Amino acid sequence: MAKKTYDLLFKLLLIGDSGVGKTCVLFRFSDDAFNTTFISTIGIDFKIKTVELQGKKIKLQIWDTAGQERFHTITTSYYRGAMGIMLVYDITNAKSFENISKWLRNIDEHANEDVERMLLGNKCDMEDKRIVPKAKGEQIAREHGIRFFETSAKANISIEKAFLTLAEDILRKTPVKEPNSENVDISTGGGVTGWKTKCCS
Amino acid sequence: MEGRQESSPMEAFDKDVLEMTVEDVYDISYVIGRDLLKVNTGGREFSDLQFKIVRVLEMFESMVNKYNLSMEELRMEMDNMKREMDRVVAEGSSGNTNNESIGTNKLVVDLKDPNRPRFTMQELKEVLQERNKLKAQLMVAQEELQLYKSGVLGSEQSMVEINLDTLPQSEPEPSSIIENKEKSTIQKLFSFRQK
Repeated sequence: MAKKTYDLLFKLLLIGDSGVGKTCVLFRFSDDAFNTTFISTIGIDFKIKTVELQGKKIKLQIWDTAGQERFHTITTSYYRGAMGIMLVYDITNAKSFENISKWLRNIDEHANEDVERMLLGNKCDMEDKRIVPKAKGEQIAREHGIRFFETSAKANISIEKAFLTLAEDILRKTPVKEPNSENVDISTGGGVTGWKTKCCS
Repeated sequence: MEGRQESSPMEAFDKDVLEMTVEDVYDISYVIGRDLLKVNTGGREFSDLQFKIVRVLEMFESMVNKYNLSMEELRMEMDNMKREMDRVVAEGSSGNTNNESIGTNKLVVDLKDPNRPRFTMQELKEVLQERNKLKAQLMVAQEELQLYKSGVLGSEQSMVEINLDTLPQSEPEPSSIIENKEKSTIQKLFSFRQK
């Protein structure tokens, strides 16, 4: 096998209503770009971005799901492998905020119990069209004990911070390994992280 | 029949014409015939009138008969249709989820629409899985190529370039040498994989 260019592989998942900006959030993070044309995601897609945290090269494989109900059966089958899930709503769309509880239920049903969750209120650059107050987002996040950020893929607000924070939270759960790269390579092969093996052994 | 005999034949005269039976007509005929006998003059004029009266009563009998028969036919026809309708309704409500009738969760597809839905969710799932697998493999290959090019992995990139440049142009050399060159390239690829 080729030498790995990273120490850890984290699998993240983006979920939320159709049109809230999941793909744009991811595109901003992975390619630092923004596209205004709306192309609905078909089923499931992913992007890769390698970041460095605490001296470790962490490869993030970020799965981008279609928000449309018709892809539900496809997208939910990807919950299980996720170590972190970002639930995105649109601050200009009340319905997308109301549906947060529905998405949280989906996580409970389909994801691993110890998955790291995070709530993002996207499109915060559109203050004039805001319908969901920031305090309401903070409140629902607090109720569920998860982190919350207001983001804008368009204006590049808090996108990187959100991803890095989620990756840090996952890293914190990951048991510290010996600085033996080979050892890390083997243990993370196939995307299984240390904290998962800990609970199974 | 017994009851009929007991009730007076005169009652037939008070009946609703649409409810009359042939028996009622016979009752009327009986009464008229009996009364005619009482006033029988034995003359020709009388017998002519009697003949006409009998004729009218026969016509009346025929009409009542036909009316009742067609009424009976209509009633049977109506019963048949009722039964048929009940059957269709029952079939429609029970077979709602099957075919034909469009239920609440059905979608009508226009077979002439080039953009009509054609593939199942399972097929889409498989295509997406394959796409994402290939994408992941491409990324790994790109990454390795990048490392290889930048010299992190292996230091023989110049060898590859020379190889590619010279091989097609060079004179047909003894095969052993070509094999050596190819072998060396493969070896180098191999050695970097083992690192």
